[in-house]
Amino acid sequence: MSIVDNPFFVLGLSPDASRIEIEREAQKLLGMLELAFEGAQSYDTPLGPQPRTAEAVRAAVAALRDPYRRLIAELWVRNAPPIRRTAPPAAHRAPVLTGLRRALGWRP
Amino acid sequence: MADSPLYVGIDLGTTNSAAAVFDGERVSVVRNAQGATVTPSVVRLDKQARVTVGTRARRFIEQDAANTAAEFKRLMGTGKAIDFPAANTTRKPEELSAEVLKALRQDITDQLGIAVERAVISVPALFELPQSAATSEAARLAGFQRVELLQEPIASALAAGWRADGDGAGTWLVFDLGGGTFDASLLETRDGLLRVVGHDGDNFLGGRDFDWAITEHLASRLAVVPQRNNPAHTPALRALRLAAEDAKIELSRGDKAQVTLAQPLSIDGREVDVDLELDRVTVERLCAPLIDRSIDVCLRLLAAHGLAPGRLARLVLVGGPTVMPMVRARVAARLESSIAEGHDPMTLVAQGAALYAATAGLDGRAQSSAAPTGRQVWLQYPAVSADLTPHVVGKFVGADPPAKVKLVRNDGAWSSGEATVGPDGSFLTSVTLLPRRACTFELEARTVTGERIAVSPPALTIVQGLTIGDPPLSRTLGVALASGHVQVYLERGAPLPARRTFTHHTIETIAKGSSDSVLRIPIVQGELAQAHLCRLVGTLDIGGDAVIDTVPTGSAVEVTIELDRGGRLAARALVPAIGQVFEHVAHLLVPDAAPEALDASLRDLRRQLMDLRTHAFRHGLAQVIEKLDRLETRLSEAERDIDASHGGDADAAQRARRALLDVDATMAEADLARKWPELDDAARHAAITASSTVGMHGTDAERALLQEVLSAMEKARRDKDAPELERQMRLASRLSSAAFNRTSEAWEYYFEDAASEVSTMRDLPRAQKLVVDGRSAVERGDTDELRRVVKALWQLLPEDSEARKKGFDSGVR
Repeated sequence: MSIVDNPFFVLGLSPDASRIEIEREAQKLLGMLELAFEGAQSYDTPLGPQPRTAEAVRAAVAALRDPYRRLIAELWVRNAPPIRRTAPPAAHRAPVLTGLRRALGWRP
Repeated sequence: MADSPLYVGIDLGTTNSAAAVFDGERVSVVRNAQGATVTPSVVRLDKQARVTVGTRARRFIEQDAANTAAEFKRLMGTGKAIDFPAANTTRKPEELSAEVLKALRQDITDQLGIAVERAVISVPALFELPQSAATSEAARLAGFQRVELLQEPIASALAAGWRADGDGAGTWLVFDLGGGTFDASLLETRDGLLRVVGHDGDNFLGGRDFDWAITEHLASRLAVVPQRNNPAHTPALRALRLAAEDAKIELSRGDKAQVTLAQPLSIDGREVDVDLELDRVTVERLCAPLIDRSIDVCLRLLAAHGLAPGRLARLVLVGGPTVMPMVRARVAARLESSIAEGHDPMTLVAQGAALYAATAGLDGRAQSSAAPTGRQVWLQYPAVSADLTPHVVGKFVGADPPAKVKLVRNDGAWSSGEATVGPDGSFLTSVTLLPRRACTFELEARTVTGERIAVSPPALTIVQGLTIGDPPLSRTLGVALASGHVQVYLERGAPLPARRTFTHHTIETIAKGSSDSVLRIPIVQGELAQAHLCRLVGTLDIGGDAVIDTVPTGSAVEVTIELDRGGRLAARALVPAIGQVFEHVAHLLVPDAAPEALDASLRDLRRQLMDLRTHAFRHGLAQVIEKLDRLETRLSEAERDIDASHGGDADAAQRARRALLDVDATMAEADLARKWPELDDAARHAAITASSTVGMHGTDAERALLQEVLSAMEKARRDKDAPELERQMRLASRLSSAAFNRTSEAWEYYFEDAASEVSTMRDLPRAQKLVVDGRSAVERGDTDELRRVVKALWQLLPEDSEARKKGFDSGVR
């Protein structure tokens, strides 16, 4: 799991979020994505904004339902560098990373 | 009532089927014309090909067995047609299932006056994709417009959990012993969310095994003993089995039963009278090992999650055989838990399916075709919500939307604040629900000047209650490659719906217009990396007669695999070179199981098992020996099924085929364990190589990934988990090659390596030219060109034909 895929970033929640808050936020985001809301199309990460997809939201909730995977996600997000709201310089552009992970057969 | 939604769930069982409806507050089981809550899954066709379903058909099993079909669910997806000699016709298993579904659909109409078009149908947890596809097809034939499939254990858990008032918090076990399969699911409920913690099962254990055990016992006491492997004895055994079933039911109340057949059996030309006494102790003795096997599965599941028996908050029993007092007593005693009361084991699955239909927002009523009146709005909200204050997201269609929106609960006691509608027509608000109730909210839209305008739809309904997350994929899905390996697309446990795309390359040319030239993309399901140990669930064929232009070897093919919530498969291949998309997934069938082929693989597996056993004993691998002992039992059972398949029992043949595959897969794991020292050594090497290459040439991201892989490898090594270690090892070497590829020497190295094999390459003149190009690129120090050359050379490397065969003749890599 890469930092840009951290479920807390995907859902835009703090690591303290309760289970209900997570489900509620995911349900809202899925609805917004379905209706193509502007605000739901991307999420902020330390590596700049990432495109948000319904699949990523579902995978994020599934990850946070599992206590062990949630713990890992919490650890990563708590130690993550601050969020950047603008795209980083081209050299660090995330798609390279995404492509790399895909090439390695990791899950999106 | 016409306004409230109607959610329909159907349990399409091996022996019995049931339907239930949920109106948002109450679940009720639908009764059939005979007033019963369950309908036997039996279909009969008479001389005029008239169809009888259920209890009335079941009466004919004995008198007219040839024209009465039962237990066809196990043959779903095999494409095997069932004969009806009287009507001189055949029917596919899905057509017979469709008849059962039609009957249930009619029962719903009779009882509620509504023709349902959408429903949720339950399927066994370990159903393979072709079987799921056949179930969907059956529903379509029965007149349903749309269905979703749901795994049976989730359905029963949902139904059991729905009833639990408030704090059933803790871990639950659902013990589902059906006609032909056994499933144990471990679940947890917290904050109104149901989560499947773990699942285990035995695909080859069910009530029918009880019946066969009793039947064989009865048969052994006859003057002439009928054999299962003799087709001529089939009618006698069938009659005996029906009698055994009745006796079993009688013995769940009394202590003794008389097994008497009105007509003498005809075996090998002799008339054999059947008049036997059967007592409860004997039946218990015959069934006890089978029940214990199911309990062992539960104990194994509990142990895998660190739970001791007796720590269960709830134990729910589902399925016909669990009605037997002996089963209940034994399960309760060995799991040291009391059985939850108040659940009907026969209809719990159907009830759960109906509840799930609500979660999926699958209203069964026909959609009114009347033109919408008022301003159209798209709404997104959960049809069932555990959360008391879920969000409602909406968007008005068209330009110039209303300015404000308000939601008013129909009991009048609550309304939302006025939400502002954005210039693009979108709005976001939340509603407050009443616990365990269905709440309807009216949508009030107003213009800037405060004028109310009509909207369509005018209201929405949300049910508050237990919900379940996205269903998890039960088995890993991937594409078999020409190398005999599997490219994993979706891993087990991935939330559904899911979709992934990978790019492959063709290893042969697809010649335009040639019908012989077919590129095959096999889609497989299973947990192991070797394709032949997985199950082929479908193939995507790109034929020469379909392509608009010849596709040369080495062309890219972008394959996308998609699964919907019910686990239905869709696959698509895009060939960018010719800009064509191929979507037709063919051969979505469970492979045929010829008795002779089964015999051969049984012999083969026996021999391998013997080897493994000898080795395990010699090295004192207690864990492996235990595993192999279980396999031995499985093989003996498979042998009995193969015997029966020689007698013409197609269902037994399918069971045997699946059992043998399972044994094969387990043996491959045991074999890995045997190679443990070797594997462990290889893993160490991979770790060292990866650490140095990634350390020197890797990016930060790669280093972070490698850290994760290394710790996973360490864990696998501690747990002696060979398949996991192998998997992590592959990841480590991929990481190190990714880092290595970034260096300039890498491509020179690859080039020399590929050039040394030039004589074996497919297109020799082209390969030789590439080698020349490569040499000059090396001299010029042109890495980009060199990379292009090496990649082109790799495309020309021949595939090992043996490996390709194991990869189901895959045409891609």
